[in-house]
Amino acid sequence: MTELTKTPSTPVAETWSRYRFPGSLYRFGSLLGVLVFLVYSLHFLNVDIPLLFGALGGLVGVVAERYYPPDLAYVTDPGYLATVVDTLQMSFLGAIAGVFLSIPLAWFSAFNVSPNQRLLFPLGRFGVISCRAIHETIWTILFVSILGFGMLAGVSALTMFCVGFAGKLFSDEIEAVDMGPVDAMRAAGANPFQVFVFAVVPQVRVAFTGIAIYTWDVAFRAATVVGFFGGGGMGWYLKRNVQQLENLRVGAIILSIIAMVLIAEFISGWLRKVVNRAK
Amino acid sequence: MSATDSLAGSLNLQTGLRRKRQLRLALIWGLFILFTAWCVNGTIIEDTDWSRIGGRSGVLASFGRYIQLDLGLVSELILPTIETFMMACVGTVLGCFFSLPVAWLGAANVTPSRHILYPVGRFLMVLSRSVHEIVWALIFVSAVGLGALPGILAIAMRSVGFISKITAEAIENIDAKPVEAIRAVGGNQFQVMYYGILPQIYPVVLATVIFEWDINIRRSAVMGLVGAGGLGLLFFRQMNSFNYGGVTMVILAILLLIVLGEVISHYLRKAVI
Amino acid sequence: MAVLSVRNLKVRYSGKGPEILKGIDFDVEGDDFLAIIGPSGAGKSTLIRCVNRLVEPTDGTITLLDQDVRALKPRALRELRRDVGMIFQEFNLINRMSVMDNVLSGRLGYTGNLRSLFRHFTKDDIRQALDFLERVGLSDHVDKRADELSGGQRQRVGIARALMQQPKLLLLDEPTSALDPKISQEVMALIREIAKELRVPALCNIHDVQLAKEFCNRIIGLQDGIKKFDGETRTLRDADLEDIYAMEVL
Repeated sequence: MTELTKTPSTPVAETWSRYRFPGSLYRFGSLLGVLVFLVYSLHFLNVDIPLLFGALGGLVGVVAERYYPPDLAYVTDPGYLATVVDTLQMSFLGAIAGVFLSIPLAWFSAFNVSPNQRLLFPLGRFGVISCRAIHETIWTILFVSILGFGMLAGVSALTMFCVGFAGKLFSDEIEAVDMGPVDAMRAAGANPFQVFVFAVVPQVRVAFTGIAIYTWDVAFRAATVVGFFGGGGMGWYLKRNVQQLENLRVGAIILSIIAMVLIAEFISGWLRKVVNRAK
Repeated sequence: MSATDSLAGSLNLQTGLRRKRQLRLALIWGLFILFTAWCVNGTIIEDTDWSRIGGRSGVLASFGRYIQLDLGLVSELILPTIETFMMACVGTVLGCFFSLPVAWLGAANVTPSRHILYPVGRFLMVLSRSVHEIVWALIFVSAVGLGALPGILAIAMRSVGFISKITAEAIENIDAKPVEAIRAVGGNQFQVMYYGILPQIYPVVLATVIFEWDINIRRSAVMGLVGAGGLGLLFFRQMNSFNYGGVTMVILAILLLIVLGEVISHYLRKAVI
Repeated sequence: MAVLSVRNLKVRYSGKGPEILKGIDFDVEGDDFLAIIGPSGAGKSTLIRCVNRLVEPTDGTITLLDQDVRALKPRALRELRRDVGMIFQEFNLINRMSVMDNVLSGRLGYTGNLRSLFRHFTKDDIRQALDFLERVGLSDHVDKRADELSGGQRQRVGIARALMQQPKLLLLDEPTSALDPKISQEVMALIREIAKELRVPALCNIHDVQLAKEFCNRIIGLQDGIKKFDGETRTLRDADLEDIYAMEVL
């Protein structure tokens, strides 16, 4: 390093400042801009500021007043428990279909091993991104309008959701593989499909299994509400009771959702641990 | 197989192990396929009224309704798009504020009480993530009425889980050395946090917040379905008035907004790191 | 009157854990540059951290600047820590902050919360920080981020930070073991020079016996939590060293 020129200290001491002209100005300017934007947003959205600050206290009050005590008898009713099973089935099918569909998409949209970087790569990317971009409830409404009420619409919506979710994680995983075996396969004259099957799949198999399990976990969370929009499962009960203002039942349903999601999370965590150990 | 069976004892053991593994694998796959079949039977075969869907032509016809775009809707799209974007931004920022205390409680090394408040912090993280944003929105609509506020609060609550979990993990993984140095110069609790901990965790936290913001745009686009305004409300209206071309327009607007969000977050992430 | 006197100091980390220090006594006088040597695991680091209670002693008394360190309430302890400059083995800098901010952080004990929030240090602090940075030869790196510097430069930042406290005692925890031999020499020379200039005693734990002999006027030998040697550097014989390091040979 060149430490030849030493500036004398005293003049620097008088002029040193943390704030430099252009850099600090940009930084504080953008910070100010963001703040102004946020405040303006609150104004634009007609948000009642005192209500906003009181809302969390209000939340506790509302829960205590309206949702307590939850009507637990309602959620242990066999009719309701059957919809819990329906929810489980939907999430499982949606996850399986989504995972299987997303594997080719992830292959296309992983830049390093994509079979065709000009055409299939952007196509795969676009497929995954649009599945991700549209919220699962919108997918549900769309499928309900095409396929009618029922679990088929729910499964289709969850499938789309899982394609978006797993596709992104899968392609990230593929893009991170060791390129050595890939190059070796290519050098041996393998076509892109053979390269994928022989050089990529063995490297990502375990990670894919973990992601697939995680996908089911996330799909289950989404499955609890697809029924709200006509896709079948426990969400439908939620909607009916919300509309009928049966708050104690709503409280019980929300509690049951939390319990189910916790169980699903526990199972998925355990399965992923098993899979990782089997590696 | 028969060739390996006839080999020496040690090899026999290996074959036995492999057999066992194959058997187990076959069992897992068998159960998997059975379970899938049960699910397919329950959801698709029993629950679906195929005659009402009307076969392939019926599906195609209902799908076709979506393709005729309603270009007249463009002018009506602008305000809700802005609303949706703002709701996501405000919700994310609010979520960050809620996350701070939760992360503080739920990080094992800085929590004020390991036996009482630490489990509370962890529980809040799980609670936030396990309740779907639609459910959060329903709760808040009943608490504060219709409008953007319940949407913002729902987004904030749903964001808390992920942001505070990652923040707590980052706090748990900090390098203790700068913390020790600040304690050694006589710094108080606040200075230890602000100089010792914060500089270490803020890149991770910011990246997480940007990631969450990106997701929150998607979430805020559906808040209108349960009464919180924005693109969701417009979507709902188009759907209810059977204006399928308009529905497609709303979806295109959502896509556009999300692509925009993706671009912005890409640059923000670069600026942070 | 000694600046620091330690009597019968005992430390164990957990109730049933092994005793790290088993009753240590020593004094640091006004112009001492005292080295603590000994094999790794002898308790050198623990000993030095007991002085400003980064580690809580289990028994014994520590008297520093006429105060009973073990009896201090948190606030009084923080005020005492302001008078003790500490230099660390791995520099313990805040990597994402600038060199200047790292040096200024030495004044945090004297800075209120609001000022620290905006990193708004006084003009005097800033002037002094720049002087010390020049003293350690880092005038050209004032606004660089701490993690852009080399090891030797980082330790110089650590020295400047400790000096900012106007310390009445310097604690040096293996200041050179993360540095290469040539830089180690420079850094030790710099510390000794500054300590002499400011008339501050220093307590330095160091595993490199050669450096200890070269720079320190007194040496304490620790072995497995017990003091094995305490005397002027010139009285340290090879036999003493063999005694101190006996365990390590095994």
